[in-house]
Order: sequence, then C-alpha cells, then structure tokens
Amino acid sequence: MRVNGTAVTTPDPARRLLDFLRDDLGLIGAKEGCGMGECGACTVLVDGDPVCSCLVLVGQVAATDVVTVEGIGDDHRLHPVQEAFVDHYASQCGFCTPGVVVSVAGLLAKNPRPAEADVREALEGNLCRCTGYQAIFRAVASVAE
Amino acid sequence: MVELATPTTIEELRALAGSGRLIAGGTDILVQMRDGRDEPSLIDVSNIADGAPAVVITAGVAELSAMAPISAIVSGLAGRLPAVAASARLFGSLQIRNRATFGGNLANASPAADMVPPLVAAAAHVVVEGPGGSRQVPVAELATGPGRTALGPDEWISLIRVPLPEGEDGFLKLGGRSAMAISIVSLAWRWSRDEDGALRGVRLALGAVAPTVVRAPGAEAALEGRAPSDDVVVAAVEALRGDIAPIDDVRASAWYRREVAGDLLREALET
Repeated sequence: MRVNGTAVTTPDPARRLLDFLRDDLGLIGAKEGCGMGECGACTVLVDGDPVCSCLVLVGQVAATDVVTVEGIGDDHRLHPVQEAFVDHYASQCGFCTPGVVVSVAGLLAKNPRPAEADVREALEGNLCRCTGYQAIFRAVASVAE
Repeated sequence: MVELATPTTIEELRALAGSGRLIAGGTDILVQMRDGRDEPSLIDVSNIADGAPAVVITAGVAELSAMAPISAIVSGLAGRLPAVAASARLFGSLQIRNRATFGGNLANASPAADMVPPLVAAAAHVVVEGPGGSRQVPVAELATGPGRTALGPDEWISLIRVPLPEGEDGFLKLGGRSAMAISIVSLAWRWSRDEDGALRGVRLALGAVAPTVVRAPGAEAALEGRAPSDDVVVAAVEALRGDIAPIDDVRASAWYRREVAGDLLREALET
C-alpha cells in the first residue's frame, strides 16, 4: 500500500484503515466521528475514490494508493481547496473539515468544473454541524471556477 | 483477534469458502462488529472482481458483478436499467457506494435493502457459486427473512442477471433524507403500455413493508390490462395497502408505511 505516496507495510490486515493511519502512521487528519460510515470525518481517497476509512480493513486495500488530508497538499503549500476553505471561512469547529476537504479534492480531480448538484452529491456523506454548508459551497465554487 | 483472508481469484475463494464470513465492501459487517458482533474469521471478496467489467450486456440481459462497488455498477449501466440505477444513486453516500456491493446488499437480507426491489420487479436472478458448482436463484427467493438467506455457508453470489426492461421501469424511495437514509418504504415497478394505454406485465416490488422485499399481487392485478384512470389508481392503491405487512419501528409506524406505500404507487403511475 502507498499512503500519501510512500510505500508502507501492513502488519495486521484485519486492522481498520482509520486506526492504521492514525495510530500506526501518526496521520491524525482523518477523524473518527461515528465509526459507522454516517459522518464522513474519516474520509480518505483510495485509488482516487473517497471512502470511509472506518469501514475498510487494511488488508482489503493492500494494493492501493491511499491519500489522506495530509497528502493532498504538501508541507509548504496548501491544496487549492484548503486555501479556499481558509478564504471563505468554510471551517468552524474543524472536526469534519479533513473529510470534507478530501471529498472535495476527490471530486475536483475527476470533475474540475462541478455543478452545485455534483458538489452536494460529493458531500452527502460528510456531516458538518457548524457551517450549514453554505460557506463550504462558496469555497468549492471559488476553486471550481 | 480477527483473521482476514484476502483471496484475489475465484479459485482461491473456492478453497477458502466456508472457513469464515464473507466480507465485500464491509459497510455493514464492520458496523455490526463495532456493535459487538464476533467475527473471528473474515474472507475478503472485494479484490476478486478487480479488472473485470462491472456490467456486461448480452442478449437483453444485464449481468452485474456482485463484487464490484455500487458506484462502478452505476457508471457501467450508462442509463440502462433506470430503476436499478435510480436506487443505486440513492444508496448510502458516495463513500459507501465506493465500497458497498450488490452482492453484499443481497446477502445482508435487510427488509429495507434498497437494491432488492428493482431486482425483484425485474425478475432478476443471482448466480450463486459454491464448492459444487453454480446455481441460479431468483432474487425474490434469496432472502428468507430479515438477515437470513437461502445461501449455504460455503456459497457466494457472483453475478446478478437482470432482464432489460421492455417498457417502463422505475424506483421511488421515502427516507428521512435522500442520502444515507434507511428506507421507510421503497417501491420499484415494471410495466409496458399497449396502444390503448393499458398496462401490461405489471410487476411491483416493495421494500421495508414486510420481513423481506415483497411483490404486491393485489395491486398488480388491479392494474393489469387497465389504463391507469383515476378509479383504477384508487383501486390499485387500496389493493397495495392490503398486500403489505409493515411494522412499527423507529423509522415509521405501520399505519404511515401503508399510507405512503400507496402514495408512492400513485406517484409512480403519474410519472
């Protein structure tokens, strides 16, 4: 498996991907909200597709490329989605933000000019209880232009 | 301690089948395990379909891979099987559709399983594989009760064969919201219309109104051979409410389910 471009080994294939990322690799961007696929705070990209890392076992994705929020930009420059979230105040408490940002980055990689309906579909599995989503939609629209 | 086997070919799966519980996308099993269910041995089937097409169309039949993610089925359908595609698009969230499979939704045998009504309305079959070879089972006979199926412990679902519709087909679902909602009631239908507007070959299937997904024989008979005039629709809606056996649960009361099941049929006939 590659995580954010680096090859990693998986000692216990039955471990949840989320636990592997957070506890073994120290990538604590993905959060455990509900642990049952409802909230999307643990969203990561597996071969470019957003998935809930709390519902995937490491052994199931051993031959894939995993990208977390830590891997969408780099140490010196934010990803354009992250820049837009800063500019448009699209994050309040911030707990959902890594998952939302990863979902949006995954959408834009496949569809650089999404309609608002596409954005809503891409975020239907990401719960945000602070923003009411409007600032998030404005941020995404600013990147998609 | 959970053991996870990860076969990548059918031959490897055949050798392992029966030695543990099959896990595909895991979007249900991992939630059950989090709730305390003990699964000492899991056999992952999510890498077996890799590289194979999710959808193959041959001679009026769509063959859907049971082990491909639902999102791959939606893209592979490219507008065919409108009812299946409509249900698949409303399934969970994008994150769930990228992992969950048709085979898992069928084998899970939830009365509210959203992929099942369009398949039952379409008279679809599943291809079941096991040590002794393969057999075909009508989707309508696969679930025998909530969480129970006609599958043996060493069998798995490899394909779903769905006849392409000759007339109209569709799917409507009522849930708390459009994404991530377990159905309160779902309805799938198939019918054709002759030149006088009469409905022919009516097949209705409903989810979340009985222990398994069910047909609605009374409503089908009320519609068969008739144009859906106001009187016919009223009679069919009334018959449908008698066809189903819903329960009260956390999502809705039995009374409400009967009411809205009829409303879904009325809406289907008006579209």
